[in-house]
Amino acid sequence: MASSSPAPLVVFDRVTFYHFERTTPALSEVSFVLRRGSLNLLVGPSGCGKSTLCMLMTGIVPHLLGGVLKGRVLVDGKDVANTAVKDLALSAGLLFQDPEWMFATLRVDDEVAFGPENLKIPKAEIHPRVENALETVGLSRFRHHLVWALSGGQIQKLGFASVLAMQPPLMILDEPTANLDPATTHAVHELILRLRQQGKTIVLVSKELDEFIAEADNVIYLADGKIIAQGQPRKVIHQAGLHMLQVGVWLPEPTEIGLRLRKRGTLSTETLPLTVAEAKQAFSPLSFTATQSDVPRSKPSGDVLIEAENLQYAYNPKVTALRGVSFAVRQGELLAIIGQNGAGKSTLAKLLVGLLKPTDGVLRLFGKDARHWKVAELANHIALVFQNPEHQFLCDTVFEELSYSLLAKGVTDPAEIQARVVETLRELDLQGDAQTHPFALSEGAKRRLGVATMLVGGGAQVLIVDEPTYGQDRRMTERLMEYINQLRQAGITVIMITHDMRLVEAHIDRAIVMAEGRILYDGDPQTLFTLEDIIRQANLRPTALNRLLTDLRQQGISVPAHINTVERFIQAVQ
Amino acid sequence: MSEQLLAYVEKDSLIHRADALSKLLWVVIVVVATFQFQTAYTRALMFSVLLFTALFLAKVPLRSIWRVSPLIFGVAFLLGAFHYVVTKGTTPLFTIGSYVVYREPLEAGGAYFFRLAIMVLASFLLIWTTDTYQLMVGLAYLGLPYRYAFAIFMALRYIPLIQREVEAVRAAHAIRGKAAQSPLKHRFRLWQRYLFTVIVNGLRKAENTAVAIEARGFGAYPERTYWKEFHWTRSGLLLVSAFTVFCVALIVWERFSLSS
Repeated sequence: MASSSPAPLVVFDRVTFYHFERTTPALSEVSFVLRRGSLNLLVGPSGCGKSTLCMLMTGIVPHLLGGVLKGRVLVDGKDVANTAVKDLALSAGLLFQDPEWMFATLRVDDEVAFGPENLKIPKAEIHPRVENALETVGLSRFRHHLVWALSGGQIQKLGFASVLAMQPPLMILDEPTANLDPATTHAVHELILRLRQQGKTIVLVSKELDEFIAEADNVIYLADGKIIAQGQPRKVIHQAGLHMLQVGVWLPEPTEIGLRLRKRGTLSTETLPLTVAEAKQAFSPLSFTATQSDVPRSKPSGDVLIEAENLQYAYNPKVTALRGVSFAVRQGELLAIIGQNGAGKSTLAKLLVGLLKPTDGVLRLFGKDARHWKVAELANHIALVFQNPEHQFLCDTVFEELSYSLLAKGVTDPAEIQARVVETLRELDLQGDAQTHPFALSEGAKRRLGVATMLVGGGAQVLIVDEPTYGQDRRMTERLMEYINQLRQAGITVIMITHDMRLVEAHIDRAIVMAEGRILYDGDPQTLFTLEDIIRQANLRPTALNRLLTDLRQQGISVPAHINTVERFIQAVQ
Repeated sequence: MSEQLLAYVEKDSLIHRADALSKLLWVVIVVVATFQFQTAYTRALMFSVLLFTALFLAKVPLRSIWRVSPLIFGVAFLLGAFHYVVTKGTTPLFTIGSYVVYREPLEAGGAYFFRLAIMVLASFLLIWTTDTYQLMVGLAYLGLPYRYAFAIFMALRYIPLIQREVEAVRAAHAIRGKAAQSPLKHRFRLWQRYLFTVIVNGLRKAENTAVAIEARGFGAYPERTYWKEFHWTRSGLLLVSAFTVFCVALIVWERFSLSS
């Protein structure tokens, strides 16, 4: 491929970039080239400069958002420093994380035509462009639909189509699947690979590397604004894989296992696997011992706190969100509610905290009918942390935020408030941020503060967390899970609503799978991942680790039944 | 998940079929006429005609109008109440206990109430029945520079997204409980926070939107092409002419009857 196109599409030559009014650089001395028609992965922990790099290629920085650029960025032969954003738009299209906010019109086809219209493409030429773009992403059937009638996955695809219609040779995709269910994520991944086949050059930022790492032509690994390693995926993983794990990059589970076994000396360097198929080969000579994780988990036997029987909820006569769900939650459980976008998960969470009242069926919360609970009263027993924790903040400092929660729970003694807030700040590892505005915290710290505001002062027996790992890198997720495990040890029941199958597999005792307002499955995650029908119906996808374990077992290798994390896999290897 | 209060709703109705420019012109006619009407009675009649248009010609469900009624009637009611209070009355109409209701303040209050309610309802009707892209194409057809045309109507595009944000913030605040404060102080704090959170997030998203749209070439050239053309429609012209005749007739009749 390289020999057919001698001139690279993108050149970064010793690029250092400072954001507007910042004194520390977001990127320093970054140099790389991207070949035409290549698939390039940009990886690194949160805040390492990935998004800045994406914005530089489209001229958004420095032209629209300011900043100081040193060194040279060439895109399609154009020097970014002296090329207007509109001219760069012909060469590089950027798909944003939340494309709904980038849409300017109401209808699918008008939205796709918007970019070409701006570039003064003649009308006769726009029509085939719109048709082709919609065809490529599989939205032709929806061309006359209104934008807000689309599902999460379709909105992403429309974002792709809008960029495609402008026919840039370079497509930059910044976390395009961050909030999609696993099967939709997979569909978007297939689309990305198809675009590469059609000759597009792709820059992809994603934490879901499983499906790309082996397909990618090039990986650029950034940390603290510097390139730590770059080149073919295998080479980069060999060189810097352990470093990536240390700083909090999500690597595919088979790769992580390979790296750690190699470090331990159990695996030779030649066989470091990137995919499940490669891992199956590489790990087949291994033998496993039964570990303590083989002890089956005990069934929770605490009191029933939440009980639903044929619970139904309709937003209006036309929109039914829950169509009769029944389940019970006991004290001390850690369970996840999973399923595709729009399955009714968030509606269920709102019913559990009293923000919505059942339209039919029974919902008993702590022994009392949900219809008789007041929201504020119920908040002392059951806490919900929203997907965007900012929505919950009411005060100007972290300290005030926590004291507000204590006041709301009737703690009025200033000395006691002071002591308990200080104690909580220590638990959250936020001692230095007592006077920081909650909005100014890092994403990980915001999420932990969100949980703490709901639980400080005690009383709450149940905690519901909506998408706990959204927008979090690996290290942030691990810290959050540590905190949640502490809470569990203190006897709090935790319910998570999540698309993150790794999280489910590693931490959850019980998974409730929802689809179209009904419960399809209620049981342990390990069994769930063997039920193909349910996986398909609920738009789920087993994790790479799970697929690997299934493959190894099919090969006749005796793998202990309860391996559900990389950690346990490694422990079990002799 | 909840219903959108102020967004285009796709339907097959006479008003939906009317072209965007005619509908815009229709709103202008309604507003101008409302300023020409002099009494509460003509304005009440105009409001009833608008309500009829909304319910039967545009097929807007009564529920949708009811849900935005605080927006339609809230400010109008305050304005009407203010004029009711400040207008001096001389002709007693009826009494409630010892309180005498006079004709003049009631008419003045009604006149202001209906004037604002008409303007708001007519604008909402335009929003509910018009695809904003069609409006942009229409205004560009009239020769208005497209950046202005888009600036006005693109804002409409984001109302449902902002509504969703406000709902999320309200729900999140509701479950935070109430710190020991007076209810009024608590309410004030919540309002302050809604505004803060919605504005901060709104600004962040507005910046993203502006950047995203510019990165898609918006504003790159003084002109742009449109892949769909503007056409005047028969139903649009019918709407405009029917309302013109009705408004002119009402104005003439009112002037005539007031002078005689």
